[in-house]
Amino acid sequence: MRATDNQGSFLNRISIRRNQVVSMDGNHEQELEDIELFQKHVSDRFSDLLSPSDDTSADALLSISWLRKLLDVFLCCEAEFKAIMIMGRDASLISKPPLDRLFHELLDRNVKTLDVCNAVHHGVDAVRHFQKLAEIVVSALEQRPIGEGQVRRAKRALNSLITAMALEDKDGTGNKSTERAWSFGRRGGSGAVNKDRNPGQFRAISWNMAKGWSASKQIQAMSSNLVAPRGGETLALPVYISSTVMVFVMWALVAAIPCQERSGLASHYSVPRQLSWAQPMVGLQEKIAEEWKKKEKKGCSGLLEEIQKMEKLVQSLSEFAESFQFPAEPERLEEVANQVAELAETCKRMEEGLFPLQQQLREVFHRVVRSRAEILEALEQGGKSSTPIM
Amino acid sequence: MMEKNHPPKKSRSFGRNISDAASSDQGSHHSVEANDKDTEKDASSWDSLPQVLQEVDRFLDTLSTAAGEDEESNTSPPSEVPNSVELLSKMVESMISKYNAVKNSMRFGKDPEKDSSFLNALKRISGLSRKLGEFPSNPSMASTLNRTSSILQKAMSFLDEEFRLLLDDTKANRESDEKIQKPTKQSSFNNLNNLESDRCLLEDRTNNNESSQEEDEYPGFSPETISNMNKIATAMISAGYETECCMAFSISRRTAFRSALDKLGYDHLSIDDIHKMSWESLEGEIATWITVVKQCSSVLFVGERKLCDTIFSSNRTMSRSLFSNLARAVAIQILNFAEAVVLTKRAAEKLFKILDMYETLRDLIPAISESYPEGEVSNELFSEATAAKSRLGEVAVSIFCELENSIKNDIGKTPVASGAVHPLTRYVVNYLKYACDLYKDTLEQAFQLHLKMADKPKEDVAEDQKARGKDDKEDGTTKTSPFQAQLMSVMELLDSNIEMKSKLYRDPSLRCIFMMNNGRYILQKIKGSTEIHQLMGNTWCRKRSSGLRLYHKNYQRETWSKVLQCLSHEGLQVNGKISKPVLKERFKSFNTMFEEIHKTQSSWVVSDEQLQSELRVSVSAVMIPAYRSFLGRFKQYLDPGRQAEKYIKYQPEDIENMIEDLFDGNATSMARRR
Repeated sequence: MRATDNQGSFLNRISIRRNQVVSMDGNHEQELEDIELFQKHVSDRFSDLLSPSDDTSADALLSISWLRKLLDVFLCCEAEFKAIMIMGRDASLISKPPLDRLFHELLDRNVKTLDVCNAVHHGVDAVRHFQKLAEIVVSALEQRPIGEGQVRRAKRALNSLITAMALEDKDGTGNKSTERAWSFGRRGGSGAVNKDRNPGQFRAISWNMAKGWSASKQIQAMSSNLVAPRGGETLALPVYISSTVMVFVMWALVAAIPCQERSGLASHYSVPRQLSWAQPMVGLQEKIAEEWKKKEKKGCSGLLEEIQKMEKLVQSLSEFAESFQFPAEPERLEEVANQVAELAETCKRMEEGLFPLQQQLREVFHRVVRSRAEILEALEQGGKSSTPIM
Repeated sequence: MMEKNHPPKKSRSFGRNISDAASSDQGSHHSVEANDKDTEKDASSWDSLPQVLQEVDRFLDTLSTAAGEDEESNTSPPSEVPNSVELLSKMVESMISKYNAVKNSMRFGKDPEKDSSFLNALKRISGLSRKLGEFPSNPSMASTLNRTSSILQKAMSFLDEEFRLLLDDTKANRESDEKIQKPTKQSSFNNLNNLESDRCLLEDRTNNNESSQEEDEYPGFSPETISNMNKIATAMISAGYETECCMAFSISRRTAFRSALDKLGYDHLSIDDIHKMSWESLEGEIATWITVVKQCSSVLFVGERKLCDTIFSSNRTMSRSLFSNLARAVAIQILNFAEAVVLTKRAAEKLFKILDMYETLRDLIPAISESYPEGEVSNELFSEATAAKSRLGEVAVSIFCELENSIKNDIGKTPVASGAVHPLTRYVVNYLKYACDLYKDTLEQAFQLHLKMADKPKEDVAEDQKARGKDDKEDGTTKTSPFQAQLMSVMELLDSNIEMKSKLYRDPSLRCIFMMNNGRYILQKIKGSTEIHQLMGNTWCRKRSSGLRLYHKNYQRETWSKVLQCLSHEGLQVNGKISKPVLKERFKSFNTMFEEIHKTQSSWVVSDEQLQSELRVSVSAVMIPAYRSFLGRFKQYLDPGRQAEKYIKYQPEDIENMIEDLFDGNATSMARRR
């Protein structure tokens, strides 16, 4: 795991430096310098995400590999935050007002982050389902010559895919027809005897979240009490930066991957513009929000680059399938072949990227759990004699 | 490819070597629906199927040779597609429409013979579709390919639907009534001070372990259904429709698995919800979770695995990946709950539920590694489950260690009335006893694995262990485990806390009684449980006993030595004669002292009957002979009658009876006696 390695060496660096410094005077100066550095790192990392240096399409904004980078960035920032705030620090400092309140808010955000991670994890399962359906399309339309059988097979998969994507957009909250859409090709067909045998079952592919859970509400709750600290509160700044990164990353994930209940996502959160370290994040946020607003109107299952590409290809392949007659015209076939190749490429990227993405989500999950425990421990240590925690 | 040597011909001339059944058939470009007459005819000619199949097989062989040994042997691909192919296509088509004509019931599996003919025919159709694709520029073949692949698609579509219906045809779906009830919420360790509760809890725990045996029929398919599904899956996979097949399977099984979990009462809760939940509600959720996980590791996963393996017997990789994907989704869901519980505020009363969860996961982990084939998913789940288990272990250890702080923080300034057992003693000892009775091994294990994460610095533990090493050698028991060390250290803390509390009593005798009461309570509880007794060791028990004897002696001295002095035979003589005033004084002060002691100490409490009687016996043993002998010797010096009556208020029997009143917790006994 790349992120972890980075973190290890990074933590070492920080902590060694801190140990050297603690013995000397000028602790506060060191602190300021650390925080300065933290801001710079956050800014640098997000600039990289905003305009990747190697301009390959694989790393395009909101692609699977971009999301993986985003999670890497999250892990790095998180580690650096802990290095500054928790490691080697006098615990009594963070357990006193006003920092203690900020930390408790952070802990609350942590819990919500875990739910978002899980929801996105489920969402990736849904994307994998898209992938499977697309693979059917590919394997049917790859065959030569293309006959009616292949086209009918592809058409079925395409229809399922279109419905599945549309339903993921509607989030399946209480939507009774979802199950049918997920179940491949049950529509039509004379044998649909028990079409509606389980009308209450939604979304068989992804385990859904708790009833009423809403990704967009969680994001809103995470960001609602996020207030930039005033000048004097030095140590409040890293807490704020770390929280902002956390909320942004979660927000971007929710926008990219199908997730339960995301209405109004774009308006629920925005990175404050005036802060210099947040500029690249602001840039990303604007791009994504704009994209979201565009898509929200006509409906989309996620801004994930691969999904978007798939949606486009599916649209046009679907047109081909609808109008197909044997034997197909060679020019049309060539066009279709290209599209199928593109779809195959997208499937391949999903095949290669989705599982690692899920693993990384778990890594983030575990890291947040760990951090939460560490912060709690620090708070408890610092506040042993004073008020009980939480 | 050698097509160019064989200029395409119109495919009108199908081979004539098969019955006339196909003679009406012209051209390969068939519309999908054959007219009724054709269907009739084809249907009646199913008897000729073996022959048709033979023909088609021969054709397939020719195609293989042509495609495969292209260059070496000069076999050329046949220029014509034999009539048998169209015949076969028609037969399959008619079979499909026959199947589809059946409404509202299972279509496949009614007539196994017919099914197997159908599948046999499909095998050829799918073989044809594959082989003919290798000659794309031969128009006759291309159009035949169009025909066969179209029929293949129809057949697959039918099988896909049928597969789905069969998948839904489980026992669970057939039975509308739900036999499996939501598990009753387990009671918890709420009444630590209620001595009776221990036993109930024990029973509760045993019952719970047994209840998971009931549901044996998961996933509830009949053997016929299984075999039909296997046939369909095999056919779909060999025709290249494995993605559809797997998709239908995995969707249906996920739904089924989820409803199995729902039936067990499993709620889908967000971590946020769990975090905000009251402990009472969460306890119920934990109980359900435990049932669910046990059911998963003992029944559901096993059943699911077997189902995958049976239905996808033709493709091992596929069955494994289907199972792994399902199990992974379930397992992560399950583990998230554990992670969420770990995040909730730590509290002493949660220890036992957390240990229950710990044990459940501990037992799940081997189930995971056994039921999973090696590979990424297996490793991932293994480490996920292990991580969740570790976190539960850490929390358990840290809660257990928190007990030290609870004891340290118990610094109440009001002594317990009558020197009775302090609630803290009761709480701590029952807590420890309960923990050891039911969770000794688990706690040992958790401490062994997860102590490093707890608050206690390691050196402390090491030192403790060293210090105790000596004791243990005398004891003949093994080295002190980390849990044992923690237990000891809790005991020591409790001791010093109780000692501190004893100082709240001004009366040194009452202090002794208090110490004895508490000490006795601890000792009895520990001796009464094999587990904790074993952990504390015999040496410890012996030390405690002798400590108690010391308090007993101190008590004797504090309370009774002055009384005994009154009964001393010394100091009564003045100038060689027994002094009546001194004697009277002695009797008087004895009476006063004894009455005073009787009054006070009858109100004291020694709830342990044995200790109570030991105390009384020991007091009697000292007092009665002394009084008897004093009385016997000096009674004569008092004038019989009023004087004697005034000073000798008690006969030895009275003294004996009054001693029986001591430590009764009954302040009115004196009044009653009077």
